[in-house]
Amino acid sequence: MILEILLRLVLWLLLAPLLPGIINKVKAWVAGRRGPPVLQLYYDLARLWRKSAVLSTLASPAFVAGPAVAWVALAGAALLMPLGPAGGAVSFRGDVLLLVYLFAVARFCTAWAALETGSAFEGMGAAREVSYAVLAEVALITAVLSLSVQTGSVTLVTMLAPATGAGAVLLAGGLFAVLLAENCRVPFDDPNTHLELTMIHEVMVLDHSGPPFAVILHGASLKLMLFAVLLSQAVLPVAELTPAAATIVLAGAVLAVTVGVGLVESLLARFAFRRVPLLLTTAFLLCLFALLLAWKGGAA
Amino acid sequence: MTPGLLLALAAGGLLAGLIFGPGRPRVWLALTLTGNAAALGAALLVLFHGADWTWRGGWPVAGELPWLRLDGISAWFLALLGVGGGAGAVYAQEYWADAHHPDSAPRSRRWWNAMGLSMGLVLLSSNGLHFLIAWELFAVSSYFLVTLDRERKEVRAAGWLYLAASHAGTLCLFGFFALLAVRTGSWELGPLHDHADLAPLFWLALFGFGVKAGLFPLHLWLPSAHANAPSHVSALMSGVAIKMGIYGIVRFSGWLPVPAAAGWVVISLGAVSALVGITFALAQNDLKRLLAYCSVENVGIIMVGLGGALLGARHGEAPWGRLLLAGALLHIWNHGLFKSLLFYSAGSVLHATGTREISRLGGLWRAMPWTAALFALGAAAVSGLPPLNGFVSEWLVYLGLLDAAAGHGRPAWAAMPAAIMLAMAGALALAGFLKAGALVFLGAPRTPAATHAHEGGRLLRGPMLALAGACVAAGLAPLLLWPAVARAVAAWHPAWTAGPAPAALTTLSLAQVVLAVLFLAAGVALWRRVRACGLRRAPTWDCGFAAPTARMQYTGGSFAGITTGWFSWLLLPERLLRRPRGPFPAQAGRSEYLPETVLERIVVPAGEAVMRASTAARRLQHGRLQFYIVYLAGGLIVLALLVWLEGMP
Repeated sequence: MILEILLRLVLWLLLAPLLPGIINKVKAWVAGRRGPPVLQLYYDLARLWRKSAVLSTLASPAFVAGPAVAWVALAGAALLMPLGPAGGAVSFRGDVLLLVYLFAVARFCTAWAALETGSAFEGMGAAREVSYAVLAEVALITAVLSLSVQTGSVTLVTMLAPATGAGAVLLAGGLFAVLLAENCRVPFDDPNTHLELTMIHEVMVLDHSGPPFAVILHGASLKLMLFAVLLSQAVLPVAELTPAAATIVLAGAVLAVTVGVGLVESLLARFAFRRVPLLLTTAFLLCLFALLLAWKGGAA
Repeated sequence: MTPGLLLALAAGGLLAGLIFGPGRPRVWLALTLTGNAAALGAALLVLFHGADWTWRGGWPVAGELPWLRLDGISAWFLALLGVGGGAGAVYAQEYWADAHHPDSAPRSRRWWNAMGLSMGLVLLSSNGLHFLIAWELFAVSSYFLVTLDRERKEVRAAGWLYLAASHAGTLCLFGFFALLAVRTGSWELGPLHDHADLAPLFWLALFGFGVKAGLFPLHLWLPSAHANAPSHVSALMSGVAIKMGIYGIVRFSGWLPVPAAAGWVVISLGAVSALVGITFALAQNDLKRLLAYCSVENVGIIMVGLGGALLGARHGEAPWGRLLLAGALLHIWNHGLFKSLLFYSAGSVLHATGTREISRLGGLWRAMPWTAALFALGAAAVSGLPPLNGFVSEWLVYLGLLDAAAGHGRPAWAAMPAAIMLAMAGALALAGFLKAGALVFLGAPRTPAATHAHEGGRLLRGPMLALAGACVAAGLAPLLLWPAVARAVAAWHPAWTAGPAPAALTTLSLAQVVLAVLFLAAGVALWRRVRACGLRRAPTWDCGFAAPTARMQYTGGSFAGITTGWFSWLLLPERLLRRPRGPFPAQAGRSEYLPETVLERIVVPAGEAVMRASTAARRLQHGRLQFYIVYLAGGLIVLALLVWLEGMP
C-alpha cells in the first residue's frame, strides 16, 4: 500500500515536467524552429534547485513556505487521481471534492506568496488568478456534477466512466478550456513572457528564484498533467480496458491533450482580458449542457 | 456532575459577574469564565453522554411555569455560546480595558454577561412566552454592547439600525408564538408533528429568525453593527448571536411540521445569501465590514445545508439529508470558531493601528507576526481549505448536494444549482480573504500608522491561539465530534438516528492529518534548502522598478476590481474620477463609494416614500372645524350610498 503510493508519486513527479517540454516542442515545430529540448524543464529544475535564492526584503517566511505547501497540495491531488483500471492510490466517497479544494489550496498559497513582495505587478497577477479561478471553479464543479449525475457516484474512481456522444464532446470542450485557464496557457495567459502587464501566472512568480522557483515550476507542470489526466479519463473509458491497453490509451490521450495545448498556443493569440470571462462562461455553459445531457441520459 | 448542576453553576457565575463584576475586572473574568466553562461542560455532557436534561419550575414566571430543556440541538448551540463567551471575555480584558475606556468597560462587562445569560435562556426555554422574553433581553443587551462606544455617530446609527431591524423580526416572532399558543392551546413548546395546520407558521419563523441570522436580504443591520461594535462584541455577534437566529430556524423546523415549499425556499435563500454575501464582502474596503459580509455568506452555507435536510426529510432521503444537516451543524461551530478568530485578529489590527481600512494598512506581519499568522490560518479556514475545519463542514454539505444530484430525484433540481453557486461563493471567498490577509499583513506599510503597529498583549493573543487550535483540531479530528453531530441530527429528526460516522469521513480525517504534517514538513524543508543554498535579501525586483513608494502597491479596490466589475449591477458602486488635466495638472483623484444596496437603494427609499405620503396625508388634519364637518358629511354620504347600492336588487 505504502509502496504503491510512493511508486505512483514518483511516477507523477518524474513524468510531469515532460509536458511543458512537449508543448514547447510543438510550438517550435509549428513555428519552424528547432526549439529547446523536450527535457529542458528537467535541466532548469536541477539548476534552480542548486542555485541560491534572492528574497524580497518585504517577504516573510511564508514567501518560501507558500510554494512548498502548494506543491504538496498538488502532489496530494495526484495521489487522489485514479489511473485507469489501477484506480486511485487514495480513494473515498467525496474524494473529488478534496481534489477540487487541493487545487484551491495551491492557488491560495501561490497567490499569498506572490503578494508577499508588495509589488503591484504581482498584485495584478494574483488578483487575476483568483478572479478567473472563480469562473473556472464553477465550470469544474459543473463538470464534476455532470459526471456524478451520469454515474450516480461521488467517488473519482467510479465517476470517471465517461458519457458517449454529445455529452463527452461537450465535457471535453469545457474541461479543455478549464485546463487552459487553470494552467495559465494561451488564450488566457501567455507563459512565454512575464514582462507585459497582461500576465497571470508568470507575473505572480516574478520575484521567486532558486529552490522555491523550482518548486513552483514543478508544481505547475504537475497541475497541467493532473488536468490532462482528468480530461482524458472524463472522456475516454480508460478504466474498462486491460492495464496494458489502458496505459497506452491514457499516455496517448495525455500526449494528445498536450499537443493540443501546444497547437492552441501556436495558432491562437492571447485574448484581451475583458474577453476572458466570456470564454470561461462558455466553458461553464459547455459543462452545464453536459450536465443536462447526463441528466436526460440517466433518467431514461 | 449533571447538566443541571453545571447549568446552575453557569447561571450563577454569569449572574454573579453581572452583579459584582462591572467594577472589578479580575473578579468578573473569573466568574464569567467559570460560567461559560460550566455552560460548555453542560452542553458537552448532553451531546456526548447523558440524556436530554429538562427541568420544570414549580412557581409561575409571567404567568407560566418555567420549563427548561437541554437537548441535542440546544446543547449544540450552547457549546458555541460557552466558547464564544469565554474567549471574548478574556479578549475584552485587554481590548476594552478600563485604562482606555473607563466609562464603557464596566458597561461592557455588565452587558456581556446579560447577553450570555439571555442567549442561554433562549436556548433553554421550552415555553413560547419565556422564549420571547429571553429573545427581547438578548436583543436589548446586544444593542447596548454594540453601542458601547456611543460617542461616535456611526456607532449610534448602527445601533439604531440593529435595534429597529431586530424588532421587525421580533414582531414576526410575537405573531409566530402567539398563533402557536392559540392553535395548540398552550405556550409550551415541543415536538408537534401531528398538527399539520401549523405548517404555514414556518414562514413567520423564517422571517423573524432570518433577520437575526443575517440571511440575505434581511441582513441589512448586520454589516454596520458588526463593523462598528468593539471587536470582542463583533466576534460574539458574528460567532454566536446570529447563530441564535439559525437556532430558531433549526429548532422550529425540527419541532413543527413545515410547508411543502420550505426546503426549496430555505436552500434557495441560502445559496443566494452565500453568493451575494461574499460578493459584497470581496468589494469592501473596511476589514471588519468584509468579515461581517462574510458572515452573511456562511449563514447562507448553513442554510443550504438545512434546506437540503428539509428536502431530504420531505422526500424520505435519509442518507444525504443527514449529511447535509450534519454539514450545516458542523459549519455553525466552525464558523463560530474561525470568525471569532478573524474578528479578534481584526481587532488587534485596529488596536495597533487605529484604522480598519485595508488600503491604509500593509506590511503588518513584521510588527505583528502572531496576529498575521493567526489571521492567515483563519482566512484559510474560512475559505474552506483543507486540512482545516471549514473544509470538513463544506465537504459534508457538498457531498450531500452531490448525492442528492446523483439520486436523480426532484431535490436534485435544488441541489445542482446550489452546488454550483456554493462553488462560486467558495472561490470568491478565497479571493476575498486573500485580499484581506495579504493587503493588511503583507507588502510594505502604506501609512505611518501601519509602520508603527505593535503586537497585542498576551490576553489578546491567548484567545486567538485557543480558537486557532480549535480550528486545526476540528479539521484534523472531525471524527471526535461525530457522536455530538449524530446526536444533534437525531434531535432534529427522530428517525435519523445516530449511526457510525461515514467511512469516508474516517479516510478524510486521516488524509487531513497527513496533509497537515506534509504541509509543515515541506515548508520547513524548503526553508532549510533555501538557507543551505544561500539566501540574499534585496528590494522587490518588480521588473526593474525596484522599491517604489509603498502607495504604489496594489490596493483592496484594485485587487477586487475584476470581480466587483462583474457584479457592478448588484454592488452599484458610485465612482468619482477627476482626471489630471492640462499641461500642469493640479489635482486628480479617484474615489469609490460602495452603498449598502438593499438598505440604501430599497429600504431607505421605501421608508422615505412612506414618510412623504404621511406628510402629504397630514395636510388633511389642519384644525379647521368646518372642514372636519365636511369630511364627516362626505363619509356619511359615501356610507349611505354603499348601503343604498347594497339594497338594490
